[in-house]
Amino acid sequence: MAGSTTVLIIDDDDDFRASVRALLESRGFTVAEAASGQEGLALLTECRPDLILLDVMMECSTEGYGINQAIKWREECRDFRHIPVVMVSSIQESPDQLFPMAGEVDMIRPDFYVTKPLDIPAFLATLEKALERAPHHRSQPG
Amino acid sequence: MSSAPAQTAPPPSIVVIDDDPAMRLSCRKILDKSGYRVETFEDGAGGLDGVERLKPDLIIVDLKMPGISGFEVISRVLETDPAAVLVVITGYATIDTAVEAMKAGAYDFLPKPFSPDELRIIVQRGLERRRLMLEARRQELERELLRRRLVTFVSHQLQTPLAAVHQYLNVLRQLEDDSAGAARRREWYERCLIRVEEMLALIRNWLTLAAIEGQCLAQQRLPVDLNPIMVSVLEECRPLAEPDGITLEVRPAPEPCFCLGDPVCLRVLVENLVSNAVKYNRPGGRVEVAVRPVNGELELSVSDTGLGIPKQYQPFLFDEFFRVRQPGAAGKPGAGLGLAIVKRIVAELGGRIEVSSEPGQGSTFRVRLPAAPSGASAVSSLRVAPATDPPPSCAAPRRETRHAG
Repeated sequence: MAGSTTVLIIDDDDDFRASVRALLESRGFTVAEAASGQEGLALLTECRPDLILLDVMMECSTEGYGINQAIKWREECRDFRHIPVVMVSSIQESPDQLFPMAGEVDMIRPDFYVTKPLDIPAFLATLEKALERAPHHRSQPG
Repeated sequence: MSSAPAQTAPPPSIVVIDDDPAMRLSCRKILDKSGYRVETFEDGAGGLDGVERLKPDLIIVDLKMPGISGFEVISRVLETDPAAVLVVITGYATIDTAVEAMKAGAYDFLPKPFSPDELRIIVQRGLERRRLMLEARRQELERELLRRRLVTFVSHQLQTPLAAVHQYLNVLRQLEDDSAGAARRREWYERCLIRVEEMLALIRNWLTLAAIEGQCLAQQRLPVDLNPIMVSVLEECRPLAEPDGITLEVRPAPEPCFCLGDPVCLRVLVENLVSNAVKYNRPGGRVEVAVRPVNGELELSVSDTGLGIPKQYQPFLFDEFFRVRQPGAAGKPGAGLGLAIVKRIVAELGGRIEVSSEPGQGSTFRVRLPAAPSGASAVSSLRVAPATDPPPSCAAPRRETRHAG
Protein backbone atom coordinates (compact mmCIF):
# COMPACT_ATOMS: atom_id res chain seq x y z
CA MET A 1 0.00 0.00 0.00
CA ALA A 2 2.93 2.31 -0.64
CA GLY A 3 1.77 5.84 -1.19
CA SER A 4 -1.57 5.31 0.45
CA THR A 5 -2.93 7.63 3.10
CA THR A 6 -2.49 6.44 6.67
CA VAL A 7 -5.09 7.18 9.33
CA LEU A 8 -4.28 6.55 12.99
CA ILE A 9 -7.37 5.78 15.04
CA ILE A 10 -6.97 6.49 18.76
CA ASP A 11 -10.05 5.19 20.55
CA ASP A 12 -10.60 2.91 23.53
CA ASP A 13 -13.66 1.29 21.98
CA ASP A 14 -12.58 -1.86 20.07
CA ASP A 15 -15.79 -1.95 18.09
CA PHE A 16 -15.55 1.64 16.96
CA ARG A 17 -12.02 1.01 15.72
CA ALA A 18 -13.06 -2.20 13.93
CA SER A 19 -15.89 -0.62 11.98
CA VAL A 20 -13.99 2.53 11.08
CA ARG A 21 -11.02 0.44 10.00
CA ALA A 22 -13.21 -1.61 7.63
CA LEU A 23 -14.82 1.52 6.26
CA LEU A 24 -11.53 3.31 5.67
CA GLU A 25 -9.79 0.27 4.23
CA SER A 26 -12.64 -0.14 1.77
CA ARG A 27 -11.82 3.40 0.64
CA GLY A 28 -8.14 2.59 0.15
CA PHE A 29 -6.75 4.09 3.36
CA THR A 30 -4.11 2.38 5.46
CA VAL A 31 -5.22 2.18 9.08
CA ALA A 32 -3.28 2.03 12.32
CA GLU A 33 -4.99 1.62 15.69
CA ALA A 34 -4.26 2.61 19.26
CA ALA A 35 -6.53 1.73 22.20
CA SER A 36 -5.37 4.59 24.42
CA GLY A 37 -3.95 8.07 24.15
CA GLN A 38 -0.51 7.04 25.36
CA GLU A 39 -0.41 4.14 22.92
CA GLY A 40 -1.38 6.57 20.18
CA LEU A 41 1.43 8.98 21.01
CA ALA A 42 3.89 6.11 21.06
CA LEU A 43 2.71 4.97 17.62
CA LEU A 44 3.22 8.33 15.94
CA THR A 45 6.88 7.79 15.08
CA GLU A 46 6.31 4.29 13.81
CA CYS A 47 3.28 4.84 11.60
CA ARG A 48 3.72 8.50 10.60
CA PRO A 49 0.01 9.02 9.93
CA ASP A 50 -1.38 11.57 7.50
CA LEU A 51 -4.37 12.08 9.75
CA ILE A 52 -5.30 11.28 13.32
CA LEU A 53 -8.80 10.28 14.37
CA LEU A 54 -8.94 10.93 18.11
CA ASP A 55 -11.66 9.97 20.58
CA VAL A 56 -12.49 12.60 23.21
CA MET A 57 -13.76 10.41 26.03
CA MET A 58 -11.38 7.66 26.92
CA GLU A 59 -11.47 5.97 30.30
CA CYS A 60 -14.34 8.13 31.42
CA SER A 61 -12.30 11.30 31.12
CA THR A 62 -11.76 13.80 28.39
CA GLU A 63 -8.30 12.36 27.80
CA GLY A 64 -8.57 13.02 24.06
CA TYR A 65 -8.21 16.77 24.59
CA GLY A 66 -4.99 16.20 26.50
CA ILE A 67 -3.64 14.04 23.70
CA ASN A 68 -4.60 16.64 21.10
CA GLN A 69 -2.82 19.26 23.16
CA ALA A 70 0.25 17.03 23.45
CA ILE A 71 0.36 16.49 19.69
CA LYS A 72 0.03 20.20 18.99
CA TRP A 73 2.24 21.65 21.72
CA ARG A 74 4.59 19.11 23.25
CA GLU A 75 8.22 19.46 22.21
CA GLU A 76 8.75 15.76 21.50
CA CYS A 77 5.74 15.83 19.18
CA ARG A 78 7.02 18.73 17.08
CA ASP A 79 7.42 16.49 14.00
CA PHE A 80 3.74 15.62 14.20
CA ARG A 81 2.03 18.85 15.08
CA HIS A 82 1.20 19.55 11.44
CA ILE A 83 -0.88 16.34 11.23
CA PRO A 84 -4.57 17.21 11.10
CA VAL A 85 -6.53 15.83 14.04
CA VAL A 86 -10.20 14.93 13.72
CA MET A 87 -11.71 14.58 17.17
CA VAL A 88 -14.68 12.33 17.64
CA SER A 89 -17.00 11.70 20.54
CA SER A 90 -20.50 10.75 21.47
CA ILE A 91 -20.75 13.61 23.91
CA GLN A 92 -22.65 16.52 22.58
CA GLU A 93 -20.86 19.33 24.38
CA SER A 94 -18.50 21.34 22.26
CA PRO A 95 -15.05 21.94 23.75
CA ASP A 96 -16.09 25.51 24.48
CA GLN A 97 -18.81 24.26 26.78
CA LEU A 98 -16.56 21.73 28.48
CA PHE A 99 -13.77 24.20 29.11
CA PRO A 100 -15.14 27.61 29.91
CA MET A 101 -11.74 29.30 30.08
CA ALA A 102 -10.91 30.79 26.71
CA GLY A 103 -7.14 30.34 26.89
CA GLU A 104 -7.55 26.70 27.69
CA VAL A 105 -9.91 26.13 24.79
CA ASP A 106 -7.49 27.66 22.31
CA MET A 107 -4.81 25.23 23.43
CA ILE A 108 -6.96 22.21 22.88
CA ARG A 109 -9.42 23.24 20.21
CA PRO A 110 -9.52 20.41 17.70
CA ASP A 111 -8.90 21.04 14.03
CA PHE A 112 -12.04 19.09 13.21
CA TYR A 113 -14.80 17.61 15.30
CA VAL A 114 -17.30 14.86 14.44
CA THR A 115 -19.78 13.03 16.64
CA LYS A 116 -20.49 9.32 17.16
CA PRO A 117 -22.15 7.49 15.57
CA LEU A 118 -20.54 8.79 12.42
CA ASP A 119 -22.60 10.12 9.58
CA ILE A 120 -20.50 8.28 7.01
CA PRO A 121 -20.71 10.65 4.01
CA ALA A 122 -20.18 13.68 6.24
CA PHE A 123 -17.34 11.93 8.04
CA LEU A 124 -15.57 11.06 4.76
CA ALA A 125 -16.02 14.64 3.59
CA THR A 126 -14.45 15.89 6.83
CA LEU A 127 -11.47 13.55 6.35
CA GLU A 128 -11.07 14.85 2.81
CA LYS A 129 -11.11 18.44 4.04
CA ALA A 130 -8.70 17.64 6.85
CA LEU A 131 -6.29 15.92 4.48
CA GLU A 132 -6.17 18.98 2.26
CA ARG A 133 -4.47 20.64 5.19
CA ALA A 134 -1.79 18.00 5.58
CA PRO A 135 1.38 19.35 3.96
CA HIS A 136 2.93 16.02 2.92
CA HIS A 137 -0.27 14.41 1.87
CA ARG A 138 -0.45 12.63 -1.45
CA SER A 139 -3.89 12.49 -2.89
CA GLN A 140 -5.96 9.66 -1.60
CA PRO A 141 -6.20 6.53 -3.76
CA GLY A 142 -9.47 5.05 -4.94
CA MET B 1 -15.50 35.98 77.86
CA SER B 2 -13.25 35.00 75.00
CA SER B 3 -14.73 35.21 71.56
CA ALA B 4 -11.40 35.27 69.78
CA PRO B 5 -11.59 33.44 66.49
CA ALA B 6 -9.34 30.47 65.77
CA GLN B 7 -5.67 31.26 65.28
CA THR B 8 -5.20 29.43 62.01
CA ALA B 9 -7.79 31.15 59.79
CA PRO B 10 -7.68 34.92 59.30
CA PRO B 11 -9.99 36.59 61.84
CA PRO B 12 -13.55 37.17 60.60
CA SER B 13 -14.15 40.60 59.16
CA ILE B 14 -17.07 42.79 60.16
CA VAL B 15 -18.44 45.91 58.55
CA VAL B 16 -20.34 48.43 60.70
CA ILE B 17 -22.53 51.00 58.94
CA ASP B 18 -23.96 53.69 61.23
CA ASP B 19 -24.28 57.48 60.96
CA ASP B 20 -23.70 57.94 64.68
CA PRO B 21 -19.93 58.41 65.31
CA ALA B 22 -20.21 57.30 68.94
CA MET B 23 -21.87 54.07 67.88
CA ARG B 24 -19.20 53.37 65.24
CA LEU B 25 -16.46 54.00 67.78
CA SER B 26 -17.90 51.77 70.48
CA CYS B 27 -18.65 48.92 68.05
CA ARG B 28 -15.10 49.12 66.73
CA LYS B 29 -13.65 49.10 70.25
CA ILE B 30 -15.64 46.11 71.44
CA LEU B 31 -15.09 44.05 68.30
CA ASP B 32 -11.40 44.99 67.93
CA LYS B 33 -10.83 43.72 71.42
CA SER B 34 -12.42 40.41 70.48
CA GLY B 35 -9.92 40.00 67.66
CA TYR B 36 -12.13 40.71 64.65
CA ARG B 37 -11.15 42.87 61.72
CA VAL B 38 -13.55 45.81 61.79
CA GLU B 39 -14.26 48.54 59.24
CA THR B 40 -16.82 51.25 59.88
CA PHE B 41 -18.75 53.46 57.46
CA GLU B 42 -20.87 56.51 58.15
CA ASP B 43 -23.54 56.08 55.49
CA GLY B 44 -25.24 53.53 53.28
CA ALA B 45 -23.38 54.43 50.08
CA GLY B 46 -19.96 54.14 51.70
CA GLY B 47 -21.04 51.00 53.47
CA LEU B 48 -22.17 49.31 50.26
CA ASP B 49 -18.83 50.12 48.63
CA GLY B 50 -17.04 48.73 51.67
CA VAL B 51 -19.08 45.53 51.61
CA GLU B 52 -18.33 45.02 47.96
CA ARG B 53 -14.62 45.57 48.51
CA LEU B 54 -14.14 43.70 51.80
CA LYS B 55 -16.67 40.89 51.39
CA PRO B 56 -17.12 40.80 55.16
CA ASP B 57 -18.39 37.81 57.14
CA LEU B 58 -20.89 39.98 59.00
CA ILE B 59 -22.52 43.35 58.42
CA ILE B 60 -23.96 45.45 61.23
CA VAL B 61 -26.15 48.20 59.88
CA ASP B 62 -28.17 51.01 61.42
CA LEU B 63 -31.70 51.06 60.10
CA LYS B 64 -32.25 54.82 60.25
CA MET B 65 -29.62 56.76 58.34
CA PRO B 66 -29.78 59.76 56.05
CA GLY B 67 -29.47 58.88 52.38
CA ILE B 68 -29.55 55.14 51.67
CA SER B 69 -31.48 53.51 54.48
CA GLY B 70 -30.59 50.38 56.35
CA PHE B 71 -33.41 48.56 54.56
CA GLU B 72 -31.95 49.39 51.20
CA VAL B 73 -28.51 48.25 52.32
CA ILE B 74 -30.00 44.90 53.34
CA SER B 75 -31.72 44.30 50.03
CA ARG B 76 -28.78 45.44 47.90
CA VAL B 77 -26.25 43.34 49.81
CA LEU B 78 -28.43 40.23 49.64
CA GLU B 79 -28.91 40.76 45.93
CA THR B 80 -25.20 40.26 45.29
CA ASP B 81 -24.53 37.75 48.06
CA PRO B 82 -27.52 35.73 49.25
CA ALA B 83 -25.30 34.16 51.90
CA ALA B 84 -24.52 37.54 53.51
CA VAL B 85 -25.43 37.85 57.18
CA LEU B 86 -26.74 41.24 58.37
CA VAL B 87 -27.59 42.39 61.87
CA VAL B 88 -29.60 45.60 62.19
CA ILE B 89 -29.21 48.20 64.91
CA THR B 90 -32.28 50.14 65.62
CA GLY B 91 -32.78 53.15 67.83
CA TYR B 92 -36.51 52.89 67.96
CA ALA B 93 -36.71 49.29 68.88
CA THR B 94 -40.26 48.56 68.14
CA ILE B 95 -41.02 44.98 67.25
CA ASP B 96 -42.46 46.26 63.98
CA THR B 97 -39.24 47.71 62.55
CA ALA B 98 -37.26 44.68 63.65
CA VAL B 99 -39.76 42.33 62.01
CA GLU B 100 -39.68 44.47 58.90
CA ALA B 101 -35.90 44.23 58.74
CA MET B 102 -35.94 40.46 59.28
CA LYS B 103 -38.53 40.15 56.53
CA ALA B 104 -36.17 42.05 54.26
CA GLY B 105 -33.58 39.37 54.97
CA ALA B 106 -31.69 40.58 58.03
CA TYR B 107 -30.52 37.78 60.28
CA ASP B 108 -31.11 39.43 63.66
CA PHE B 109 -31.51 42.82 65.35
CA LEU B 110 -29.89 44.70 68.18
CA PRO B 111 -31.91 47.41 69.96
CA LYS B 112 -30.06 50.50 71.14
CA PRO B 113 -28.67 50.81 73.71
CA PHE B 114 -26.88 47.50 74.02
CA SER B 115 -24.09 46.19 76.24
CA PRO B 116 -20.72 45.00 74.89
CA ASP B 117 -21.68 41.42 75.77
CA GLU B 118 -24.94 41.68 73.86
CA LEU B 119 -23.01 42.83 70.81
CA ARG B 120 -20.44 40.05 71.12
CA ILE B 121 -23.06 37.36 71.49
CA ILE B 122 -25.04 38.49 68.51
CA VAL B 123 -21.85 38.79 66.44
CA GLN B 124 -20.81 35.27 67.38
CA ARG B 125 -24.19 33.92 66.42
CA GLY B 126 -24.14 35.85 63.16
CA LEU B 127 -20.69 34.55 62.29
CA GLU B 128 -21.76 30.99 63.01
CA ARG B 129 -24.71 31.56 60.71
CA ARG B 130 -22.35 32.85 58.03
CA ARG B 131 -20.12 29.80 58.41
CA LEU B 132 -23.11 27.51 57.93
CA MET B 133 -24.35 29.48 54.93
CA LEU B 134 -20.96 29.27 53.24
CA GLU B 135 -20.63 25.59 54.06
CA ALA B 136 -24.08 24.94 52.59
CA ARG B 137 -23.16 26.88 49.48
CA ARG B 138 -19.91 24.93 49.11
CA GLN B 139 -21.76 21.65 49.40
CA GLU B 140 -24.34 22.82 46.92
CA LEU B 141 -21.63 23.67 44.39
CA GLU B 142 -19.93 20.34 44.96
CA ARG B 143 -23.19 18.48 44.45
CA GLU B 144 -23.88 20.42 41.29
CA LEU B 145 -20.41 19.63 39.94
CA LEU B 146 -20.82 15.94 40.75
CA ARG B 147 -24.24 15.90 39.17
CA ARG B 148 -22.94 17.46 35.98
CA ARG B 149 -20.02 15.05 35.83
CA LEU B 150 -22.35 12.15 36.41
CA VAL B 151 -24.61 13.27 33.58
CA THR B 152 -21.62 13.43 31.24
CA PHE B 153 -20.36 10.00 32.32
CA VAL B 154 -23.72 8.36 32.17
CA SER B 155 -24.63 9.76 28.80
CA HIS B 156 -21.24 8.60 27.58
CA GLN B 157 -21.75 5.13 29.06
CA LEU B 158 -25.12 4.85 27.39
CA GLN B 159 -24.17 6.36 24.09
CA THR B 160 -20.93 4.51 23.51
CA PRO B 161 -22.40 1.02 23.03
CA LEU B 162 -25.30 2.40 21.02
CA ALA B 163 -22.93 4.35 18.81
CA ALA B 164 -20.77 1.25 18.28
CA VAL B 165 -23.79 -0.83 17.25
CA HIS B 166 -25.17 1.92 15.06
CA GLN B 167 -21.87 2.26 13.34
CA TYR B 168 -21.44 -1.47 12.72
CA LEU B 169 -24.84 -1.55 11.05
CA ASN B 170 -24.18 1.61 9.12
CA VAL B 171 -20.81 0.45 7.81
CA LEU B 172 -22.25 -3.00 7.04
CA ARG B 173 -24.81 -1.31 4.84
CA GLN B 174 -22.03 0.55 3.06
CA LEU B 175 -19.96 -2.59 2.56
CA GLU B 176 -22.86 -4.78 1.41
CA ASP B 177 -21.22 -5.79 -1.88
CA ASP B 178 -17.88 -6.67 -0.39
CA SER B 179 -17.16 -10.31 -1.29
CA ALA B 180 -15.17 -11.00 1.90
CA GLY B 181 -18.04 -9.56 3.88
CA ALA B 182 -19.89 -12.67 5.09
CA ALA B 183 -17.44 -13.62 7.84
CA ARG B 184 -17.14 -10.05 8.91
CA ARG B 185 -20.86 -9.64 8.96
CA ARG B 186 -21.24 -12.64 11.28
CA GLU B 187 -18.51 -11.34 13.58
CA TRP B 188 -20.05 -7.90 13.73
CA TYR B 189 -23.52 -9.22 14.46
CA GLU B 190 -21.99 -11.02 17.44
CA ARG B 191 -20.32 -7.82 18.58
CA CYS B 192 -23.58 -5.90 18.22
CA LEU B 193 -25.35 -8.44 20.41
CA ILE B 194 -22.65 -8.21 23.04
CA ARG B 195 -22.80 -4.43 23.12
CA VAL B 196 -26.57 -4.41 23.32
CA GLU B 197 -26.46 -6.93 26.18
CA GLU B 198 -23.88 -4.76 27.89
CA MET B 199 -26.19 -1.84 27.65
CA LEU B 200 -29.14 -3.77 28.97
CA ALA B 201 -27.02 -4.86 31.92
CA LEU B 202 -25.97 -1.27 32.51
CA ILE B 203 -29.55 -0.09 32.58
CA ARG B 204 -30.53 -2.96 34.86
CA ASN B 205 -27.69 -2.20 37.26
CA TRP B 206 -28.51 1.41 37.22
CA LEU B 207 -32.12 0.78 38.08
CA THR B 208 -30.98 -1.47 40.91
CA LEU B 209 -28.78 1.30 42.21
CA ALA B 210 -31.59 3.81 41.97
CA ALA B 211 -33.96 1.43 43.71
CA ILE B 212 -31.54 0.96 46.59
CA GLU B 213 -30.94 4.70 46.78
CA GLY B 214 -34.66 5.35 46.77
CA GLN B 215 -34.84 2.84 49.62
CA CYS B 216 -37.24 0.78 47.58
CA LEU B 217 -35.14 -2.34 47.42
CA ALA B 218 -33.44 -2.37 50.77
CA GLN B 219 -36.46 -1.55 52.83
CA GLN B 220 -37.43 -5.00 53.98
CA ARG B 221 -35.87 -6.51 57.06
CA LEU B 222 -36.50 -10.22 57.08
CA PRO B 223 -34.31 -12.84 58.67
CA VAL B 224 -32.53 -14.32 55.66
CA ASP B 225 -30.26 -17.34 55.70
CA LEU B 226 -27.15 -16.62 53.63
CA ASN B 227 -26.29 -20.30 53.07
CA PRO B 228 -28.93 -21.16 50.48
CA ILE B 229 -28.50 -17.79 48.73
CA MET B 230 -24.82 -18.53 48.34
CA VAL B 231 -25.45 -22.01 46.97
CA SER B 232 -28.06 -20.92 44.45
CA VAL B 233 -26.04 -17.91 43.23
CA LEU B 234 -23.11 -20.22 42.64
CA GLU B 235 -25.27 -22.57 40.60
CA GLU B 236 -26.46 -19.61 38.58
CA CYS B 237 -22.90 -18.45 37.90
CA ARG B 238 -21.64 -21.87 36.84
CA PRO B 239 -22.42 -21.37 33.11
CA LEU B 240 -20.39 -18.15 33.27
CA ALA B 241 -17.41 -19.96 34.76
CA GLU B 242 -17.38 -23.14 32.69
CA PRO B 243 -16.06 -21.79 29.38
CA ASP B 244 -12.87 -20.65 31.13
CA GLY B 245 -12.55 -23.78 33.25
CA ILE B 246 -13.03 -21.82 36.48
CA THR B 247 -13.95 -23.91 39.51
CA LEU B 248 -16.59 -22.58 41.89
CA GLU B 249 -16.47 -23.75 45.47
CA VAL B 250 -18.96 -22.96 48.16
CA ARG B 251 -18.37 -23.37 51.87
CA PRO B 252 -21.62 -22.91 53.71
CA ALA B 253 -21.56 -22.65 57.47
CA PRO B 254 -22.69 -25.84 59.28
CA GLU B 255 -25.70 -24.04 60.71
CA PRO B 256 -28.02 -21.40 59.20
CA CYS B 257 -26.53 -17.89 59.03
CA PHE B 258 -29.39 -15.48 59.45
CA CYS B 259 -29.01 -11.79 58.92
CA LEU B 260 -31.74 -9.18 58.84
CA GLY B 261 -32.18 -7.83 55.38
CA ASP B 262 -33.96 -7.78 52.09
CA PRO B 263 -33.69 -11.16 50.35
CA VAL B 264 -33.50 -9.61 46.87
CA CYS B 265 -30.79 -7.21 47.93
CA LEU B 266 -28.76 -9.91 49.60
CA ARG B 267 -28.97 -11.99 46.49
CA VAL B 268 -27.85 -9.07 44.30
CA LEU B 269 -24.97 -8.53 46.72
CA VAL B 270 -23.72 -12.11 46.46
CA GLU B 271 -24.37 -12.24 42.70
CA ASN B 272 -22.29 -9.15 42.03
CA LEU B 273 -19.35 -10.36 44.09
CA VAL B 274 -19.35 -13.85 42.61
CA SER B 275 -19.79 -12.72 39.01
CA ASN B 276 -16.89 -10.27 39.43
CA ALA B 277 -14.75 -13.06 40.87
CA VAL B 278 -15.52 -15.16 37.79
CA LYS B 279 -15.15 -12.32 35.31
CA TYR B 280 -11.77 -11.15 36.52
CA ASN B 281 -10.32 -14.62 37.09
CA ARG B 282 -7.72 -16.42 35.04
CA PRO B 283 -8.56 -19.45 32.88
CA GLY B 284 -8.55 -22.53 35.08
CA GLY B 285 -8.83 -20.36 38.18
CA ARG B 286 -10.90 -20.83 41.32
CA VAL B 287 -13.62 -18.93 43.16
CA GLU B 288 -14.36 -19.65 46.80
CA VAL B 289 -17.44 -18.40 48.56
CA ALA B 290 -17.85 -18.90 52.28
CA VAL B 291 -19.98 -17.65 55.11
CA ARG B 292 -19.31 -17.98 58.83
CA PRO B 293 -20.41 -16.36 62.07
CA VAL B 294 -17.77 -14.12 63.65
CA ASN B 295 -18.38 -12.36 66.98
CA GLY B 296 -22.10 -11.90 66.55
CA GLU B 297 -21.68 -10.90 62.92
CA LEU B 298 -21.73 -12.84 59.69
CA GLU B 299 -18.76 -12.83 57.40
CA LEU B 300 -19.31 -13.54 53.76
CA SER B 301 -16.12 -13.91 51.79
CA VAL B 302 -15.60 -14.24 48.06
CA SER B 303 -12.07 -15.08 46.90
CA ASP B 304 -10.70 -15.44 43.42
CA THR B 305 -7.40 -16.38 41.85
CA GLY B 306 -7.57 -13.65 39.27
CA LEU B 307 -5.79 -10.51 38.18
CA GLY B 308 -5.86 -8.81 41.56
CA ILE B 309 -6.33 -5.09 42.01
CA PRO B 310 -3.30 -2.79 42.05
CA LYS B 311 -3.01 -0.89 45.34
CA GLN B 312 -3.44 2.52 43.74
CA TYR B 313 -6.87 1.56 42.38
CA GLN B 314 -8.23 0.02 45.57
CA PRO B 315 -9.56 3.25 47.11
CA PHE B 316 -11.75 3.87 44.04
CA LEU B 317 -12.99 0.33 43.65
CA PHE B 318 -16.45 1.01 45.01
CA ASP B 319 -17.01 4.27 43.12
CA GLU B 320 -19.68 4.42 40.47
CA PHE B 321 -18.35 3.86 36.96
CA PHE B 322 -14.87 3.09 38.18
CA ARG B 323 -13.13 0.29 36.31
CA VAL B 324 -9.60 -0.96 36.85
CA ARG B 325 -7.59 -0.39 33.75
CA GLN B 326 -5.04 -3.16 33.39
CA PRO B 327 -4.04 -5.78 30.85
CA GLY B 328 -6.46 -8.67 31.11
CA ALA B 329 -9.31 -6.54 32.39
CA ALA B 330 -9.68 -4.73 29.09
CA GLY B 331 -12.51 -6.03 26.94
CA LYS B 332 -14.41 -7.47 29.90
CA PRO B 333 -17.95 -6.22 29.65
CA GLY B 334 -19.11 -4.04 32.50
CA ALA B 335 -19.96 -0.50 33.36
CA GLY B 336 -18.30 -0.21 36.74
CA LEU B 337 -21.53 -0.30 38.70
CA GLY B 338 -21.38 -3.76 40.30
CA LEU B 339 -19.23 -2.87 43.29
CA ALA B 340 -21.01 0.47 43.75
CA ILE B 341 -24.22 -1.54 44.12
CA VAL B 342 -22.52 -3.92 46.54
CA LYS B 343 -21.28 -1.05 48.67
CA ARG B 344 -24.68 0.61 48.72
CA ILE B 345 -26.40 -2.61 49.80
CA VAL B 346 -23.84 -3.33 52.51
CA ALA B 347 -24.21 0.20 53.88
CA GLU B 348 -27.98 -0.10 53.76
CA LEU B 349 -27.82 -3.29 55.80
CA GLY B 350 -25.54 -1.71 58.38
CA GLY B 351 -22.53 -3.78 57.41
CA ARG B 352 -19.10 -3.10 56.01
CA ILE B 353 -16.95 -4.43 53.24
CA GLU B 354 -13.23 -4.71 52.76
CA VAL B 355 -11.00 -6.01 50.06
CA SER B 356 -7.57 -7.54 50.22
CA SER B 357 -5.84 -8.09 46.96
CA GLU B 358 -2.48 -9.07 45.58
CA PRO B 359 -1.90 -8.26 41.91
CA GLY B 360 -1.39 -11.51 40.02
CA GLN B 361 -2.62 -13.61 42.96
CA GLY B 362 -6.26 -12.67 43.32
CA SER B 363 -8.65 -10.75 45.51
CA THR B 364 -10.81 -11.48 48.52
CA PHE B 365 -13.88 -9.42 49.34
CA ARG B 366 -15.13 -9.75 52.91
CA VAL B 367 -18.57 -8.50 53.85
CA ARG B 368 -19.54 -8.25 57.52
CA LEU B 369 -23.24 -8.08 58.23
CA PRO B 370 -24.99 -7.91 61.58
CA ALA B 371 -26.47 -11.31 62.44
CA ALA B 372 -30.19 -11.51 63.07
CA PRO B 373 -31.02 -11.75 66.78
CA SER B 374 -31.57 -15.40 67.68
CA GLY B 375 -35.21 -16.39 67.65
CA ALA B 376 -35.84 -14.27 64.58
CA SER B 377 -34.75 -17.11 62.38
CA ALA B 378 -38.14 -18.43 61.41
CA VAL B 379 -38.32 -17.40 57.76
CA SER B 380 -36.00 -18.40 54.99
CA SER B 381 -36.02 -16.21 51.94
CA LEU B 382 -36.07 -19.20 49.69
CA ARG B 383 -39.34 -20.50 50.98
CA VAL B 384 -42.61 -19.05 49.88
CA ALA B 385 -43.80 -16.66 52.52
CA PRO B 386 -46.98 -17.80 54.27
CA ALA B 387 -50.12 -16.17 52.95
CA THR B 388 -50.67 -14.39 56.24
CA ASP B 389 -47.51 -12.36 55.79
CA PRO B 390 -48.08 -8.70 55.01
CA PRO B 391 -47.38 -7.92 51.35
CA PRO B 392 -44.08 -6.19 50.56
CA SER B 393 -44.50 -2.53 51.29
CA CYS B 394 -42.90 -1.42 48.08
CA ALA B 395 -43.48 -1.86 44.41
CA ALA B 396 -39.90 -2.82 43.56
CA PRO B 397 -39.69 -6.00 41.50
CA ARG B 398 -39.51 -9.01 43.78
CA ARG B 399 -37.93 -12.19 42.71
CA GLU B 400 -38.38 -14.61 45.60
CA THR B 401 -41.06 -16.53 43.79
CA ARG B 402 -38.59 -17.52 41.13
CA HIS B 403 -36.67 -19.52 43.67
CA ALA B 404 -39.64 -20.99 45.40
CA GLY B 405 -40.06 -24.72 45.65
